[in-house]
Amino acid sequence: MSYRIALAGNPNCGKTTLFNELTGSKQHVGNWPGVTVDKKEGVYRKNREVSILDLPGTYSLSPYSAEEIIARDYIVKERPDVVIDIVDGTSMERNLYLTMQIVETGIPMVIAMNMMDEVEAKGDRIDCGKLGELLGVPVVPIVARSNKGTDALMEAVLQVAQSGQAPKVPDIYGAELLQAIQAGALTEEQEERAADLRYTYIAQLVKEAVQRKKSGHVETKSDKLDKILTNRILALPVFAVIMYVMFACTFSENFLFVPGLPSPGVWLAGIVETVWGALAEGLIGLVEGAGASGWIVGLVSSCLDGLGAVIGFLPLVLVLFLLLSFLEDSGYMARVAFVMDRIFRHFGLSGRSFIPMLMGFGCSVPALMASRTLESDKDRKITMMITPFMSCGAKLPIYAMFAATLFADSNQTLIVFSIYMLGIVVAVISALLLNKFAFKDGASNFIMELPQYRIPTLKSVLIHAWEKVRGFAIKAGTVIFASTLLIWFLSSFNFSGMCHMEDSFLAGIGNAIRWIFIPLGFGDWRASVGVVTGWIAKENIVTTFGQLFGGVSEEAIEAISAGEQALPAITEVFTKVSAWSYMAFNLLCMPCFAAVGAMKREMGSWKWTLRAVGFQMATAYVVALLINVVGNLIF
Amino acid sequence: MALAMMRIGEERVIEEFHGREEMKRHLQDMGFIRGERIQVIGENPSGLILLVKGVRVALNRGLASQIMVA
Repeated sequence: MSYRIALAGNPNCGKTTLFNELTGSKQHVGNWPGVTVDKKEGVYRKNREVSILDLPGTYSLSPYSAEEIIARDYIVKERPDVVIDIVDGTSMERNLYLTMQIVETGIPMVIAMNMMDEVEAKGDRIDCGKLGELLGVPVVPIVARSNKGTDALMEAVLQVAQSGQAPKVPDIYGAELLQAIQAGALTEEQEERAADLRYTYIAQLVKEAVQRKKSGHVETKSDKLDKILTNRILALPVFAVIMYVMFACTFSENFLFVPGLPSPGVWLAGIVETVWGALAEGLIGLVEGAGASGWIVGLVSSCLDGLGAVIGFLPLVLVLFLLLSFLEDSGYMARVAFVMDRIFRHFGLSGRSFIPMLMGFGCSVPALMASRTLESDKDRKITMMITPFMSCGAKLPIYAMFAATLFADSNQTLIVFSIYMLGIVVAVISALLLNKFAFKDGASNFIMELPQYRIPTLKSVLIHAWEKVRGFAIKAGTVIFASTLLIWFLSSFNFSGMCHMEDSFLAGIGNAIRWIFIPLGFGDWRASVGVVTGWIAKENIVTTFGQLFGGVSEEAIEAISAGEQALPAITEVFTKVSAWSYMAFNLLCMPCFAAVGAMKREMGSWKWTLRAVGFQMATAYVVALLINVVGNLIF
Repeated sequence: MALAMMRIGEERVIEEFHGREEMKRHLQDMGFIRGERIQVIGENPSGLILLVKGVRVALNRGLASQIMVA
């Protein structure tokens, strides 16, 4: 028999961790509310007949945010064979509220009592047998993080699936209220009464099944950490330092202020480049040795160039993602959202917008998807419009190239940092303007659970970072590969066959649109082509430049991507000011097509997607224009 | 008085919520119900950190001023 099992639970209850353990899936585990932005399906690794669905975390079945609606609709309408309700044993009183609501649906269920290690560490005891008896539902103690008790859990789940035994609804509501609950049509007053009855019942359950060592709240390590990390004065400076350290670990050439010491990111990039360089050289040697004609060698080497450009900066992305994942999984991000709320409120947004925006530094695609956790439609739309202004990992090689070439004599970290800051400043101004002129709603309220700080397991951080890096790797293998071929074709041919690049199709396209960019300081056809290929994938710009500015070798492109080598030919076209303007334009203009696709999915309408893209284009143009004009006045 | 007026360490009982029904329901889902004891354990310019049913919950002052406590 095949069964459909759904995982439901509060945010931060360890649901995704359990899902990973059960399915062996490489699924992202986060430690802030709403990290599961979509339904994720997997197969139980010990029984392929059992499919397991990971639902977004939700506090109740009454929908509040878009992702709670996903969870609710699935449970109520699709009616899985069994719902595994994951309960965080350290905060049962709140977690059991959702349990009560699932019980009310009458769908067969099993309770996984999670975080039992932390419960024991506190000296508390939960009598799962007793609780199961009282609720009429099997309760299995587990520790999802270390995969304890999951076999027993699945055994219980399969038993319930076979018997199809529904939980018995406790007799606490009275006929009229129960009917209203099951019809899903409660008045405000009934809603309040139901909530009250549920909590009263839960209090009784807890009293009978739980033995607490100490009553009342005991100050935990999390509370102590929060005294610093959410402190009214220290919170923001500490956050700024953490961000700076994160950037330094990723791309500092003088790590920890030691001259010449590469940061982990730069060091890794160096190794990867060396390996790839040798590999590519060998391959070209083989092709040449086989007596291939000139154009085939050209084709092969330009493909290798294209791939090399991406592979060269994968280590940087990996390090940045590892660090971001660590912060996410530790529980710190929820604090950051809270601390930032006051600032975001000034721009008419909620601190929750901070999470998607921060993820935007990694990749816009998951970031745009994460905006689903915002409950206000206005906040969601504005956040999606400005999230691509957060400089994503793929834009980094562009800055690295310019920094190494045109700003070799200045502090290159500072140049890169300035572009990142520009993105943030433009996002802030945009949010203000959009709030003032495009949307009329007031700011929405902020309420968010602050999960316990946990040192993330190496496994979960690796899974999490890998998930993100894999996206780039796949893109490198497909979109970038294809677009490299296309650029190679366009730049090597015209209607009369093979030709010099200056006479190619690509030059034609570049020349046709380059006048648009003259006011911005980079009215060169090659720069224009870069903008266009950047829409396929931003890191394409470096490859394109490598090809267009005089056939640079593949090793060189990798080194340029990592900011270790200059591309001197671009100084013919760019000055410091126009390089800055060019970086700004590519940062702010339409994101890559994958991100536009994500925006369309999340906004649910082409009209809004086009508005957003139009807004981004206009912003990019205005900002780049300002940089060019003001920059040339000053320098 | 409003929850927003509470000081760190103070413990009070929720009385009432003045605000949209949707938010009221969400608050109930997170454990903010009439008669519930809540404690303020942290405070910063963004708002307050409360302990509700053993869970830390952060909320902004605007929302905190809509929740009445006694």
